[in-house]
Amino acid sequence: MALTGRAALLAALGSLPVGILEPSWTGMLAVNGALGLACAVDYALAAPVRSLIFTRSGDTSVRLGEPAEVHLTVANPGARPLRARIRDAWPPSSWLPGTETGASRHTLAIPAGERRRITTRLLPTRRGDRRADRVTVRSYGPLGLLTRQGTHTVPWTVRVLPPFTSRKHLPSRLARLRELDGRTSVLTRGEGTEFDSLRDYVPGDDTRSIDWRATARRHKVAVRTWRPERDRHILICLDTGRTSAGRVGDAPRLDSAMDAALLLAALASRAGDRVDLLAHDRRTRAQVQGRAAGDVLPAFVNAMATLEPELVETDARSLVSTILRNAPRRSLVVLLTGLDAAPTEEGLLPLLPLLTQRHTVLLASVADPRVEEMTRSRGTLDAVYEAAAGTQSQASRRRTADQLSRHGVHVVDATPDTLAPALADAYLSLKSAGRL
Amino acid sequence: MTAPDPSTPDTAADAPRPAPHTPAPPGARHGAPPADTPPPGAPGPDGVRAPSAAAGNGLPRTSPGDPAPRTAPGAATRTAAPAATPAALWRRGRGFLICLGILLVAAVTLAALASGSRHGRLDPRSADPDGSRAVAELLQARGVTTRVVTTAREAAAAAGPDTTLLVTNPDLLGESQLRAIRSAIDLSGGRTVLLAPGSPSLPDLAPAARTKGTALDQDLDPGCALPAAVSAGRAGTGGEHRYTTDGATGTACYPSGGHPTLLVLPTGTTGGDTVLLGSETILLNRKLASEGNASLALQLLGSRPDLVWYLPSLADAQDEDPAQEQSFLDLLPHGWSWAFLQLFVAAALAALWRARRLGPLVTEKLPVAIRASETTEGRARLYRKAGARDRAATVLRAAARERLAALVGVPPAQAHDPAALLPAVSGRLTERQQDLTALLFGTTPATDAALVALADHLDALEREVRTS
Repeated sequence: MALTGRAALLAALGSLPVGILEPSWTGMLAVNGALGLACAVDYALAAPVRSLIFTRSGDTSVRLGEPAEVHLTVANPGARPLRARIRDAWPPSSWLPGTETGASRHTLAIPAGERRRITTRLLPTRRGDRRADRVTVRSYGPLGLLTRQGTHTVPWTVRVLPPFTSRKHLPSRLARLRELDGRTSVLTRGEGTEFDSLRDYVPGDDTRSIDWRATARRHKVAVRTWRPERDRHILICLDTGRTSAGRVGDAPRLDSAMDAALLLAALASRAGDRVDLLAHDRRTRAQVQGRAAGDVLPAFVNAMATLEPELVETDARSLVSTILRNAPRRSLVVLLTGLDAAPTEEGLLPLLPLLTQRHTVLLASVADPRVEEMTRSRGTLDAVYEAAAGTQSQASRRRTADQLSRHGVHVVDATPDTLAPALADAYLSLKSAGRL
Repeated sequence: MTAPDPSTPDTAADAPRPAPHTPAPPGARHGAPPADTPPPGAPGPDGVRAPSAAAGNGLPRTSPGDPAPRTAPGAATRTAAPAATPAALWRRGRGFLICLGILLVAAVTLAALASGSRHGRLDPRSADPDGSRAVAELLQARGVTTRVVTTAREAAAAAGPDTTLLVTNPDLLGESQLRAIRSAIDLSGGRTVLLAPGSPSLPDLAPAARTKGTALDQDLDPGCALPAAVSAGRAGTGGEHRYTTDGATGTACYPSGGHPTLLVLPTGTTGGDTVLLGSETILLNRKLASEGNASLALQLLGSRPDLVWYLPSLADAQDEDPAQEQSFLDLLPHGWSWAFLQLFVAAALAALWRARRLGPLVTEKLPVAIRASETTEGRARLYRKAGARDRAATVLRAAARERLAALVGVPPAQAHDPAALLPAVSGRLTERQQDLTALLFGTTPATDAALVALADHLDALEREVRTS
């Protein structure tokens, strides 16, 4: 039950007859009694809310930054026509700030026994699952004085996926991949290459790749060609601990790391490698294993959608043991974590030999452009101290990266917008060198 | 390094919002931020504060606001207001100024026009044509002292057996003033002169007299035995009120059409009298010289040694009896209190209308919002607080040496070795031979300005090597 502004206005206008014609309790009673009677009649004539039937349809997942449409079908089985205002409530981050009210309210009229469909457009501002809250209906009578109001629960979930903004870098990296791949066979041979085909020797070829047995058979000098080995295993490991919560620019580090992981997964699955995902801090938050090449990206995006940085220190020991468990044979382990001195030196560094003795380890970290900007500030005393502090923290990152490199870890340290292509390039160079 | 005052208690307070449970580490109190570890008191190496787990992860979201990462304050306000040039200010303000000018001119004109001749009317200090300074001067020359009062209370207090009370405009008086004057008339025993009293004041001040139409002629003949009238002769008492009396107690003079325009009534038992003068004309400066006006005025007002000249004013109104004041509600017709009651009902209904929401608020968990650069900024503030010029200079020099070593082809391992770096760098410099040793390997800058200059000099050196 809810009053309308019209009822209040009528009550205010009622002060004229009370003041002029009948200034007494009788006048008050006459005016308010008439108003109350009108309200009661109006309430009785409004279509009931409880008997309405709701069904939902529409988008179930959407990339962050793109609009989603969710339809709500309202059926009016009663005998009275429904004139109503409906609020389709979603969590606040389902809309841009300031547009919630306009986007969630709908006005509609449904004749008796018919149904209508309304569409709620969502524009989520964060990753994760958005669950529909209640649907509130305010049903107006013919006079518009007193309304019936009630709520229904109509469940629906829209999963907001990571935006994968770095997919613009994919075509150029795929072109480089094709150069490496069998279509243009490489002549350098390494650990991770496999025999591709024989062809005639041309001057300039590496004499070590001459296949003498084939040369003897064919009476022509033949060389073996090699191509990067396919079907390698790659384990992408997202650190969701507290270091991933810090915001760089406008997004947490975790989001930049996810973007880089998605580009790498897309590239590697096209290159014929098997890609797995592991998100871990103190325990495993998400895992994707053994997907076919065409299914990798959707599975990754789905698993990442609900990941949030946890405000706990990452347990390096459990992380390493989980990696070892999930990578039974020789793999490329891509660690997306921080390069901060204390947690790396105390946590990860002592355990690295366990990883590097069997796997190739690539560590990628999100650098902060703000620190870079601080190192260049000059002119005032505050600015110079800022520059000193920024230089100090950059030096400490570099020192940590050097320590890791000495343990045989490949380190990629880049700002959010360059991390994804830098990681893809690092993967390609490892692959071309046959070191997977 | 300049050792900061160890008694300074708030050195640790400069750390970026330290975790509440973290005890202030001793390093902070010594004012020396360590080089390799994050600033003491800082929450963690990455600016992530563990205690916010509870606050940030568990709080329901009740407002539709954004998680809003902290942005630079004032960024929005800086772009909001356009530059205010004098021309723009003039364009914006000229309409207002023109309006103000028109208003001023209109006000002055109206005031000049409206002041008119009523200004200072019957005022014994006014020399205007309608003032009465001439009479006052003449009276003073004859030894009568004139005192001007503006309130009825003062007038009543000043009245006595030896005074003449002149009431210049009795019709303007309110109820309480009339009472005060009436009691003065009754008790003083002196003379009271009422100038042109009309029907509003006569019943109170002179119950025995009533107005009787208008005297048409301006100048009238005495027509009575009153010595003052006889000696004055023809005078300008006509043009306004004529009077009539109930009894035959008073002296009636200057009749116009059978009814007098000057009436002298004896009052009370103390020997006083009340003079009703049908017109105030004889007291005006411009009329004083005509006919017998001056003589009549002097004799009527100069019969006692003191003259109290009562000019009713606005200040009089404040002497009103507070019991007479009516509140706003008393002035409203009776029925409107019921209408107000009905309006309260309407207001209550409106409140109910606005209070009812279309469904409850939706809550949502908010993510934490911490800038990754927070620790680095905290470290910069710690340096500033501690005045750590030595630390800052060391860091800046080391970074510059590493970059220079890369530029001039010295291996990174030897970048901090003067013997390897200095010759290589000076070989690339052409024009100036500055003191490279002091710049790259020197001592702590002595002042803050020297530190700022050091940073600039390092930049300049690097630029020069880069462009050579």
